[in-house]
Order: sequence, then structure tokens, then C-alpha cells
Amino acid sequence: MKISKKVLGALVVGLAVQASSSSCDKVQTKPEKAKKVGTENPANQQPDTAYNCPACGMG
Amino acid sequence: MSRTILPTIACNLDADILSASLPLLEEGVVGALEWSFDALFRQDHVIPEWFYDLLTAYSNEGRLIGHGVFFSLFSGRLLPEQAAWLQRLKQLTRQYRFDHITEHFGFMTGSDFHKGAPMSVPYTSGTVAIGRDRLQRIQDAAQCPVGLENLAFAYSLDEVKRQGAFLEQLIEPVNGFIILDLHNVYCQLHNFNIPFEVLIQAYPLDRVREIHISGGSWETAVTDQSRSIRRDTHDGRVPESVFELLERTLPLCPQVKYVVMEQLGAGLQTEAAKIGFRNDFQQMQKITEQFLEHHPRMAAVPNNFLPEQSLPPGQIIEDEYLYGEQQILSYILEHAAGHAEAMEQLQHTALRNSVWDIEKWQPDMLETAIRIARKWK
Repeated sequence: MKISKKVLGALVVGLAVQASSSSCDKVQTKPEKAKKVGTENPANQQPDTAYNCPACGMG
Repeated sequence: MSRTILPTIACNLDADILSASLPLLEEGVVGALEWSFDALFRQDHVIPEWFYDLLTAYSNEGRLIGHGVFFSLFSGRLLPEQAAWLQRLKQLTRQYRFDHITEHFGFMTGSDFHKGAPMSVPYTSGTVAIGRDRLQRIQDAAQCPVGLENLAFAYSLDEVKRQGAFLEQLIEPVNGFIILDLHNVYCQLHNFNIPFEVLIQAYPLDRVREIHISGGSWETAVTDQSRSIRRDTHDGRVPESVFELLERTLPLCPQVKYVVMEQLGAGLQTEAAKIGFRNDFQQMQKITEQFLEHHPRMAAVPNNFLPEQSLPPGQIIEDEYLYGEQQILSYILEHAAGHAEAMEQLQHTALRNSVWDIEKWQPDMLETAIRIARKWK
């Protein structure tokens, strides 16, 4: 599926921001604007995106 | 009717997965995204705008699928966290158009909602009732097709052989589907020394809407150093044997729509690993395209995998005995020094001579269960 250049460009920038914040070990870098999912408090916007999946059951 | 099978990436908010996938996204070859929508708990379920835009691009084309991780379908008690999970899912379906939603078979061993790993449950009428109740709640929240993934882990050969029929019973009231994870099948073929032709026919293949492939790792068996146990750790490249399983399985699944490649970000931190990931995706895509060249039309009447009529969930089905047994088992798996000690402890619990059939559990698989439960504790 073709993705628009705008979406891809934002993805590249977003990944670059994440990479630099991770490499500098900063924990307060917030995205300029965030979409919130659900009703939870959006205050805790840390760049920790590490995700490990136990779901398959043999992980 | 012409047939479509979408090469898909399991893509979460993970910088390593996304950067490995970026060239494929730029090329326009990623047909769909599978998103583990409940895995953002560390970030309080907040996602950055650029990831939201990516999800929305696929959502707008009806090519976003949701893959839950933490619902714990078979927990004997419907926990407040599960109610919150359902509520969140309901909210998400107002934001995104999921083509379907899936969860995993099993109950989570962890002490809280975001810890532990899924372990199997006894196959009884009671667990069927719980599983059906929970699937109905997921379907009610999501208002789209729902499905369950086969579990890689099993304590015994008997359990492996019966899992497919059990899955079929669970999804029947919601006209659901199954994800056939071929690396999970690969684990079972190896760990239980069972032929592919036998095992694959034990699954309801006409109910397969999604296929997963991934990599994993080997571990030496504790009872026999010459034997190895295959684990579905998602941290390595897809083995050639799994690609062969894909080639053999596609013709058997007339309703398959998504073929998904999964890999953990932790295994994609070097440039070589990222290139390997993309090569694996391209091989998966090539196998799918070759299959479609030879089978361009639907081999069966398409199933929309929706119930004929809306099924609002009824009274909550719970089983306090089952819940208690799950707590006992989780505790033993997380704390026993090894399989022998775990089995000795289990002998003094309600699980002895029960529907859990612990007497048939293979020591190496019990040891594996201990390692998995501890890893995700």
C-alpha cells in the first residue's frame, strides 16, 4: 500500500527524535503534539518505546 | 471472486521495528499493519502524532488489524483490568477502523495485568464457556470480526492435538476466526515430534483468516542434553523451515487474508538484523504472490467472520475454582527451582488428579513453562 510522503516524512522525523532522545538518555522529550488514546492521563509521555511480547506463549 | 492476501508487518510503537520497516513502507509493499493496541501501557496509552498518522493511513484503507496481548482470555475471574481493556478497545474502534481484532489463547501467569505469559488451560466445557463469554465481550466492544491465535506452548502431546478443536469451539458463537502462527506450529512439530500433516489437520483451516511467521530460539532440554526445545522468542530471523510451512499451509486455508511477519524490536538493533528483517519480509511477500499467481480466485465462499446477529454479552461467566488454580499454578511456576520441585509442589494442590492432567505434563515442557513465567514475571 502506498503511503503519502507527508506520513513517511513525519515518521522519519519522529524516529530521529526518538533515536536522539534515547541515545542521550533523556526521559522528558515529548512529541510536539500527541494523539491520546483512551481516557488516561496524558502527562506521562516518555520516549520509552521498548516493547517485548510474551504473547505467543513460548517467548 | 479475485483473492487478496496482504503481506503485513506486526508494527508497534518501537523505534527498531519502525526503522527496520521504513524502507518497506517507502517502497509501498507493506499491505497492512498489525498493531498491538494494548501494549502502550508504559506510555499511558499516549501515541505521538506521527505514529497516529501511520496507523490512520492504514485504518482509512481498512488495512489495520488489532492484536491484543494482555486480555488474559481464560482468567477464571473477569478482572477490573479486563473491563478497562474492553472499554479502551471500544474507544479505539471510534478512532480507528480495525478490519479485525485478535487475542491470544491462554491465561496470563503474572501477578498484575501487564506481567506474565499466557499458559494453556484445561479443555473443558467450563473453560469453553469462559472463553466464549470473553470473546463475545471483545466482539461487542470492537464490532468487527474477532479471532484467537494458536498458542505455541503446551505441556503434553495430547494438549497439542486437541488445541485446534478447542479453538474451533471457542470461536463458533461469534463466527470468529483463528490466527495460525506457523512458528508456533513449528515449535510444536519439533517439541512433540509430530508430523506436519497430522498437526495441521487438527486445526480448523477453513477458519484461518491470518497467518503469522516469525523467528525464535533453541534451548537445551533439561532431561536430555542431546535434545533441544524450540521457543517462540521472536528475536531472530524466520527459519527456512517456517517459510516452507507457509508454502504448504497457504493452499489449505481458503479464507486467509493476512500473512504477518513478527519480530521484536530487541532483535532489530543492528543494521544487519534490519536488513535480515526486510529480506524475510520480501521472501514472505514472494511466497504469497506466487501462491496468488496460481490461485487467483477465492476457493470458497468468503466468510465475513461476523455473527449473523448482534450478540450482546449476557451474565458474566466466572469460575472461582479455576481462578484459584491459576493463582496456584502461576505461583509455583514463578517460584519453583525447577520442574521436579514444581511437580512435587503441584502434587499437593488441587491440580493433582484434576482436569489439568498434570500427570501427563512433560518435564521439559514444565521446565520451559517455569522459564517463560519467570522471564515475564
